[in-house]
Formats: sequence, structure tokens, C-alpha cells
Amino acid sequence: MKNKQSSLKRMNAIKGWTLISPYIVHQAIFFGYALGWLGYLMFVKWNYLTPPKWVGFDNFVRVFTDEVFWLVLLNTVNFMLYFIPIALIASIFLGMAFSKLKVFKTFVVLSFLVANISSGVGYSIVFQKLLSESGPINRFLFQQFDFTIPWFSRPQLAILAIALMVSWKFIGYYGLIFLAGLNAIPQSLYEAAKLDGATRWKQFTKITLPLLNPSLVMVLVLQITLSFGIFTEPYMITGGGPMKRTYMFMMYIYENAFRKFTSTGPGFASVISILAAGISFGCIFLVRKMVEKEVNMV
Amino acid sequence: MKRVIIISIFLFCFFVTPLIGEKITLWTAPNMYQEQFWKLILEEWKQVRPDIEVEWKTIPASGSSEEAILTAIVTDKAPDLCTNIFSGFAAQLIEADQLVALNTLEGFDELVQIRKADEGIKGWDFSGKYYVFPIYSNPMLFWWREDILAEAGFDSPPRTYSDVYKLAERFCKPKETYAIEYLKGRNWWDRWFDFITFYYAAGGGQSYIDVERNRAVFNNDAGIAVVEFGQRLFDEGWTSTDMMDNPLYTGHLAGQLMGPWSIPEAKNMFPEIFPEKIVMSYPPVPDDYPEDQPVKTFADTKGMVMFKNSKNKEAAWEFMKWVYSDPEHDRLWFEMTGLPPVRSDLSSNELFQAIIEENPMLELYAQAVPNSVPPALISKTTEVQDIMTTHLTEPIYLVDKSAEDIIKNCISKINKELF
Repeated sequence: MKNKQSSLKRMNAIKGWTLISPYIVHQAIFFGYALGWLGYLMFVKWNYLTPPKWVGFDNFVRVFTDEVFWLVLLNTVNFMLYFIPIALIASIFLGMAFSKLKVFKTFVVLSFLVANISSGVGYSIVFQKLLSESGPINRFLFQQFDFTIPWFSRPQLAILAIALMVSWKFIGYYGLIFLAGLNAIPQSLYEAAKLDGATRWKQFTKITLPLLNPSLVMVLVLQITLSFGIFTEPYMITGGGPMKRTYMFMMYIYENAFRKFTSTGPGFASVISILAAGISFGCIFLVRKMVEKEVNMV
Repeated sequence: MKRVIIISIFLFCFFVTPLIGEKITLWTAPNMYQEQFWKLILEEWKQVRPDIEVEWKTIPASGSSEEAILTAIVTDKAPDLCTNIFSGFAAQLIEADQLVALNTLEGFDELVQIRKADEGIKGWDFSGKYYVFPIYSNPMLFWWREDILAEAGFDSPPRTYSDVYKLAERFCKPKETYAIEYLKGRNWWDRWFDFITFYYAAGGGQSYIDVERNRAVFNNDAGIAVVEFGQRLFDEGWTSTDMMDNPLYTGHLAGQLMGPWSIPEAKNMFPEIFPEKIVMSYPPVPDDYPEDQPVKTFADTKGMVMFKNSKNKEAAWEFMKWVYSDPEHDRLWFEMTGLPPVRSDLSSNELFQAIIEENPMLELYAQAVPNSVPPALISKTTEVQDIMTTHLTEPIYLVDKSAEDIIKNCISKINKELF
């Protein structure tokens, strides 16, 4: 009997390993190998053309003493300060609006998701034309009110403009996550609250928001990872300017790895990428510590 | 018998064929007009030297030619010869020991003489060696709308900064029409076509980098004058970083720096404006710039290189010598691309005169070649010009500081990078 059980266990284990082995192989090649190579590059100076030279912690010293690194970090925080509240609030309200729809719900939700699947390059160009000094918005403002908004030539406005564009792209997606969260909240809780005389605002703050916590944490995590990984919009629209105030981590990594390959190169860029990943994980950890709560719907 | 035939074919393929013909690869700029030129040249080459086959490709699509070439080198797929190489990239490739010093090859001096490139090649001297053979030199000139100038009371293009201010006072309307485009954009290469061009004009062609000492040197009267010029234009709203598309052709801009590569596009897309309503001049200069002194301008100059990993250096050199030793090829190049070849006889040689007569707009560009100065030969061109964008040209309209302070700060950042 014991023998039969152990052979069954072994069979199950073999099946399990067989099923997950393609994933493990894939991860080993496309993640493990790349990570190992990245780890090695952090300690060498290399320009792709000549053999890598071991430089120990030189790349770390250079990154930490590079004022652009700190500026990029500040820019990312600056971007998050605009993007997180704008997209979060808008998507919560959008999710609530979705949940109230009686007809064409799927159609409306999918319509908002179109923004999310649209090409970053394409919509960046559209927004650039729309918000430019000679674009329709500024032309209208100038004709009616005699002023224009220099969206892309003033540092804070440029970062706000990018945050607004990215928010436009993602609120449909985040709204869908909140819709799923709202659907999971039992209606009986609202009915009980109504009987107790709770106002709509009270219901929102005491029932909806606390019970949306898992969705909220998920959206926050997505927003943080997006903030550290944003590339297309600043690259296409502002090129990192003005005054490098929309210069983000991905651009910083890309330019140092491929454009300034003789002075900084992939070693320097590897250090930045590991640091950016580390800082973003740190932010996620902090947010989860501060915001995440155990939610019991029953 | 069958076996003998198969073995003979095998032996022929492996031992005899390589002796009969050599093969080299050539990459050229992905530009319609240049592609047409190379197509004709290679057809001719096939007749002249059937023993050397040239496999021709345009530089693969990528973020920039430099990235594509770099990728090719890393993956061991670099061509034998490549055009479209600018000085800064050449310096990077030289540092990485990727290029052949052309002056070590037999017949280099003769080729330079035959090509009349004695003057033009001086700007490509890397510690006494020449790794790049200059193909063309594009001087930057100002294009002005003649009708706008006439309306503003100018019978010739503005020569000095004060002239530009006068034109601006008469022509500019807030947020609608602008005097000149002072800044081109925020890509690193845009600095060639704005600050560096204005600086060369203001300073009589003096370099912005002392290559020997590896220091930035534009903290002088010319540098200050150029920055103050920009500050005044932005302060008064006479220029902007955000104008509509093609403002010169739509009549919203009076003057703009342009290279000769803009001629075919202007001809095709704006025939009602170009060439009738366009007049060209050198970039404006400070008021105290001597009238009898020629104005210098920036030259966007590109050349051909041979890679060290070329397996057929001799054949590649034969091809390069053949292309650039025949003035007829340069005539064809000039005619088809509109880009002035690096030759000192451009204005005097009858071969080129016919083209200039047919395209009078090219005449000024051809005449400007001797007055055009190439970029500083440094390997950190991208880094330096990136710093210029953030600490020199953007502060002109964003930061309330004196021109001296802006330049001082920028110089210290560049010197730190170059150190």
C-alpha cells in the first residue's frame, strides 16, 4: 500500500515537473540568462567592440555621482505625484460608472480599453499635435482668452501633460480592475447601511473604498511599475526635455547603453537598470505595507 | 566519371572561384537620391571591374545610422565600406580600433589631389591620420521669405542681429508669426544646426571645443553674443520652440537655417514658394562683425570609411579610389543629390557649373563650401551636445540668468564630461 502511494506521488511529481518544465526553461533562457549577464555587466566597462574590462564597483560610483541619475529619480517621483492620483481617482469613478450601466456595459468598457491597446507612438503624435502651441486647443485659448499653455516647453507642464496622456491610456484598464472589485462587494452590505441611515458618501468611504482595497493595491502596483518603465511618451514628445525634466529611467538606460556607448556603455546602464528595479520594488513594498489590508467580504 | 565531374565542380567552387572574383559589401545612407546615385555607379563598376563584386545595401533601419552600424560591428556583420559617417561617430570607431587609416593605403595622397580634396580633408585629421574620406559637405544657410522681407522694407536678407530685430519688429505678431527659428529641437544633433552654426558665424569659424586640450572654449564674445541674441528673440516672442509645421512655407516664419538637402523637398512640396519666394544668405552675425570678413557657417559633412574587419581591403580600396578619382562621379552625385561634394573646384570646374546654372539655389551652397566648418572632432559628440541642449540652449528661454552665467555653467559641465 505504502509502495503504491509513493509511486503515485512520484508519478504526480513527474507530471508536475513535466508540465512546468517549458516555463522553467523559458525563464532560465529569457530571464535567468539575461539577469546573470546583467549582473556581470554591472562590474565591467564595455563598449560592445572591445573585450569587457573588469572595473569592480566603478560603475556604481559613477552612477551615484552622476547628477542625472538623481534628476531622473526626482522626475519619476514628480511623474508619480501627478499620474497616481489623477489615474487612480479617475479610474475609481470610471469603475463606479461602469457598474451603474444597465445597457451596453460591455461595449462601453471595451471602448475605454481601446485607448489601452492603441499604439504609444501613434497617440503620442496625436497628443503632441493637439497640445502644441499651434494646435487646436492653444489656438482656441489664444483666440478666445488671449493666452496659450506651453505644454511641452515648461518643465512642470510637460510632465503634467505626459501624466495626463498616460492616464488617458490607462484609466479604462484600471477602471475595469475596479469594476471587478466593485462587483465582488455584496449588495447586502449597502442595503444594511441604507437601513442604518448611512449617506452615499458614508457608504463610499466605509464600504466601497475599504472593500476595494485589493483592487486599489493592484492598481497602485501597476502604476508604480509603469512610472519606472515609461519610455515611449517622453521619448516621442519631449525627448526628455525641457531641462531634462521628463527624462525617465528607461530613456536614461537606453541612451547610456546604446548612444553613449564609448563613455558610459552597457555596464553603467546595467547598474541603472538594477537600481531602478530595486527602487521600484522598494516603492511597491512600501505601498503594500501602508495600504494593503486583509479584506473579508462576509 | 560522375564522381570525377562532381569532385571537379567541388574543387572549382572552393579553390578557383575565389581567385576569379572578390566580393565587398558597401552600405550607403537610406536616402532616395543617394540610392539612385549608387545604383548608377555600381552598374558602371560592374562593367569596369567585373572581378570585384560590390554587394550594396542601404544602412539598415534603426534609431540612427550609428546604432545600425554599431549593431552590425557587434554581430560581426559590418560591411567593408560604409558612407554617412560623421566625425563624432568616426572618432568613436577610431577609439574602438574599428577603422582602417586610409592614409596608410597606397595611392591615398594621389586620390586626395585628384579629388581636389586637399582643403576639405583637413577637417578629418585624427592625430595625423585620415580614417574617413569626405564625400560631401553641407553648409548651413539661412532661407528667407523674400516677399516677407520686401513687405518689411528689406531689399536684402538681414545681415546682423540688429537687422533681424528690425525685421521682427515689423513682421512678428504674438504667437502667430516669428522672425527666425533660433532652436531646431532637443535632439543632440540639433545643436549643429542652431547654436554651433550661429557660433561659427559669430566667431569667424573658431571651434567650440579645443580638441588638443579637450576643453570647451565658447566662453567668449561670440558665444555670449549668440546666447544674448537668442534671449532677446525669446523674450520678445520673436521666435518659439513650438511652431506649426513648415512655418517658412506657410508664411508664419521669415527665416530658417536649412541645408541643401531641403532643396528637393521644397521643390516637390512647395513649388509655389520655392525657389521664387526664397532668398538665401549666411547666418546673421553680431553687429560688430566686420563687413569685409567672410561669414563662416557649419558644415554637415559625411564621409566613407573602411572597417578593419574587412576581408578584402585591397578590393574595397580599389573601389573607393575608382569612385572618387573621377570628377564625373562627383558631378553625378551633385546633380542627383544636391549635396556639394568636398572639392575645392566646385565653383570653378565647368563640370559643376552646368548644374549650378540649372539650379541657382545650389550656387550659394557651392560657394559656401570653403567657408563652412565641420564639427569638432571629438568622440563624445553626443554627450557634449546633449549637455549643450540641457545647459545652454534650453536655459536661453527657460532660465533667468545672464548669457555669461549660462555659458559658464555649460562649459563647466562639458569640461567635466570631457575630462
